[in-house]
Amino acid sequence: MAGIGFELRKLLRKDTLAGLLQAYAFAGIIGSGPWVLSIVGILIIGLLSSTVVVPSFLVTQFQTSVTYLIATSLILTGGLQLAFTRFVSDRLFEKRDEIVMPNLNGLLTAVLLAASAIGIPCLFFFLPGFSVVYRLLMLASFVLMCAIWIVTIFLSGMKRYKAIVGLFALGYTITVGAALLLRPFGLEGLMAGFVLGHGVLLGGMWLLTAHDFRPTQLIAFDYAQRKSMYPILLAIGVLYNLGIWADKFMFWFFPDTSEPVVGALRASIIYDLPVFLAYLSIIPGMAVFMVRIETDFVEYYDRFYDAVRSGGSLEYIQDMRDEMVYSIRQGLAEIAKIQTLAVLVTFVAGPSVLDALGISSLYLPLLHIQVIGAGLQVVLLSVLNIFFYLDLRRIILGLCAEFLVLNLVLTALTLWLGAAFYGYGFTLAVLITLVTALGILDYKLTHLEYETFMLQ
Amino acid sequence: MSYPRADDADICLLLEGTFPYVSGGVSSWVNQIIRAFPEIRFAIVFIGSRADDYGSMKYALPDNVVHLEVHYLYDFTTPEKNPKPRHGDTVAFEGVDRLHKCFRHAGSPDPALEAFRAIAPEILPGGSLPEGDFLHSKEAWEIVSKGYREQCTDPSFVDYFWTVRIMHAPLWKLARIAHALIPARAYHSVSTGYAGFLGALLHQIRKRPLILSEHGIYTKERKIDLFKSEWIRDNRNVFQRDPTELSYFRQMWIRFFEWMGRFCYEAADPIIALYENNRLRQVADGARPERTFNVPNGISLKRFAPLRALRPATPPPVLCLIGRVVPIKDVKTFIRAMRRVVNQLPEAEGWIAGPEDEDPGYAAECRNLAESLGIADNVKFLGFQKVDELMPKIGLTILSSISEALPLVILEGYAAGVPTVSTDVGSCRQLIEGLEPEDRALGPSGAVVNIADPQALADAAIALLGDPAAWQAASQVGIARVERYYTDDLMFAHYRRVYEKALAAEDD
Repeated sequence: MAGIGFELRKLLRKDTLAGLLQAYAFAGIIGSGPWVLSIVGILIIGLLSSTVVVPSFLVTQFQTSVTYLIATSLILTGGLQLAFTRFVSDRLFEKRDEIVMPNLNGLLTAVLLAASAIGIPCLFFFLPGFSVVYRLLMLASFVLMCAIWIVTIFLSGMKRYKAIVGLFALGYTITVGAALLLRPFGLEGLMAGFVLGHGVLLGGMWLLTAHDFRPTQLIAFDYAQRKSMYPILLAIGVLYNLGIWADKFMFWFFPDTSEPVVGALRASIIYDLPVFLAYLSIIPGMAVFMVRIETDFVEYYDRFYDAVRSGGSLEYIQDMRDEMVYSIRQGLAEIAKIQTLAVLVTFVAGPSVLDALGISSLYLPLLHIQVIGAGLQVVLLSVLNIFFYLDLRRIILGLCAEFLVLNLVLTALTLWLGAAFYGYGFTLAVLITLVTALGILDYKLTHLEYETFMLQ
Repeated sequence: MSYPRADDADICLLLEGTFPYVSGGVSSWVNQIIRAFPEIRFAIVFIGSRADDYGSMKYALPDNVVHLEVHYLYDFTTPEKNPKPRHGDTVAFEGVDRLHKCFRHAGSPDPALEAFRAIAPEILPGGSLPEGDFLHSKEAWEIVSKGYREQCTDPSFVDYFWTVRIMHAPLWKLARIAHALIPARAYHSVSTGYAGFLGALLHQIRKRPLILSEHGIYTKERKIDLFKSEWIRDNRNVFQRDPTELSYFRQMWIRFFEWMGRFCYEAADPIIALYENNRLRQVADGARPERTFNVPNGISLKRFAPLRALRPATPPPVLCLIGRVVPIKDVKTFIRAMRRVVNQLPEAEGWIAGPEDEDPGYAAECRNLAESLGIADNVKFLGFQKVDELMPKIGLTILSSISEALPLVILEGYAAGVPTVSTDVGSCRQLIEGLEPEDRALGPSGAVVNIADPQALADAAIALLGDPAAWQAASQVGIARVERYYTDDLMFAHYRRVYEKALAAEDD
């Protein structure tokens, strides 16, 4: 994310309202990442087509299909995203920009093969009896999504935010438009729209990347060497995504809360929609966090390590440490404020939204607790990001494992306790993990100079 | 290459940067001493900076060196790859804190020495102050950052931090050496510094005597190095810099070696100087006067006495500077003095006998100077010469140096009947005018002049060469003085007594 801080500072330095809005808009898009955006896309398709697609069961089938695609592709590639980001920044640091693109191609090839190898048997196990066209479209979507997550990591580094925003707008317009146009073809039509739109998105991103990196060869597999990939990053990515999706999968496969939708794929309508709505509420929080961390925090972080390396006084080093702490505190406080606002809005608008989606207002408490959980998740994500800056990978791994286990255990507990407790499992899991993370962060920052100097 | 190994030894020599890997005055002396006592079994601990700094051995090991170990202080091995945060022993670090407070406290050094004695054994393997705690513990961090905040006048913390680390890290290495060393009945260090610290540690844990012989004064030489060294950084900016104040890191190093010296003086008995000025300096640096005495270097009379008969009846009007052509010998002053000598004694010659390859630029300057003074015919650059062949052909040995310890060349001249004119450096006044009353009663065996004073040097030389009676008198005094005080037999006898006493000593 090194590139974005510079761009954001440039926008903020304009000191105009437009610049400020622009900065936060970019930060929101880049910070929340395409996966929040794709949820937005699904919801839009759902909302638009629920009025025109008959029967409405088709829409549910489509949404469920896409949800599974997002979840599984994120779990499959989450680790690769982190590890390859590190690989790319290491190569850029070595000024070997030209080998980035061939390695991206190499990685995409491997991901394509792996996604197909995993996807094809699934078509037979989980979707028996469905049309070949639907099953092929599912496979195509799965491979596309996996590839998109990989290419996404170049987005923030390329500093071409307008092109990227335009590309996303185009991709989703095509997705929604084509889905609507093809709706006479039923589920296959909706899926074809999805594949078309995401195909354009992936193609556009790939061309942008290729244009920026000017490759000298077509394909390379340097990333596969053990020393250039960090196994711990792979593990972090997988654990984190498993953690995020664990409660959802449990709700999907717990009989009381779910129903079969597409073949073996089950969904939990009462749980899913509130969850996705809640995730929409984190976009402003992600934007604020992005601006704070990438501008203030990174600035003092750089000054801290500059002072350590180039002979600053201990007072100055400690001042910079204090400024880092202050900017983190400031950032977290702002996220808290903005998320509180989001929570209040959800509380006010919740009943009418649920009404519009045709969900019983009995599930309003679930939406409330999910919004709070999602807000806490933004804070957790921020703290994890700070740990990434401080290069404390083991701690991140531990926190992700803690989060996964807590989410599994507490969600199981709430499923057993009954409907009144739904949603508390995830939120509590995030809360406990966050408290642990903040405790460790506090310790690490208090002892930052000691550990920087004495543990080398 | 394999070194001799033994399970124990009589005398263990602690040698920092000398014998057998570096040639020079001290190394030759060590070689001489070891060979003089074939009945004593010597062990040698050689302490160097880094393995790359030394080539092969410059001396053949005498047969009575039964054990040799070689250690390098600055070949850093990281003991821990991924160090974990830790706490050190609170009592040990309080002791360290107290010790450093005592260092800074002006006045009696006794509290510091006492605190040192308490803390020193703790750095040995198994003690409460292991190297890992020094490098990685929170208590060590507290002490280092407090030291920086309260004392350091240089702004750069990272330089302070590494100065502290690099300065102290060798101590643990020395502690490991001390811990693993074979038993010896006495330890003999030929310098203070790191070797002296090792000696002090060994004396404390093994309860055997420590003998200290100093040729130069380690602390003083280190100070000169530190004043000149450019690797010590000074990060003060133009407003912070007070030109009269040394860079703090230089001060740290100087204080460090001063205290290392003190610890060694406190443990060593006897403390042997080469000549009186150095003995006084040792006392000023903290050595107890009652433990100090002088044992000057000695030369072999057998080798030089026969040369007296080879000289012509009237002394040749040749002034000879024997030594390397380097700035410290101040050869230019000698050349300037020659101009004046030649004015008075046109047949006089100035010989410069010594290698010129160490500082070719300086050697060229010297030749140019002789030429521009118009005495190129009278001043001869001979290169390296055999002293035995030179002595019968010359009338005076000349030393124009700005620094010397106890120059053997004066003694060799005396033994061959050649008086000397020397600058007043090191032991030269003692060698020419005598030290104790009986010695002084012999009379002068030459003349002493101030440094960088060509006129005085020339006048003194003319006075001797132009007056055969005075020359003869000085020559006889020189012979008498070297025979009475500066023979190798005398030196060996002194050390025989020192060794016998140390070997027979009860455990402390």
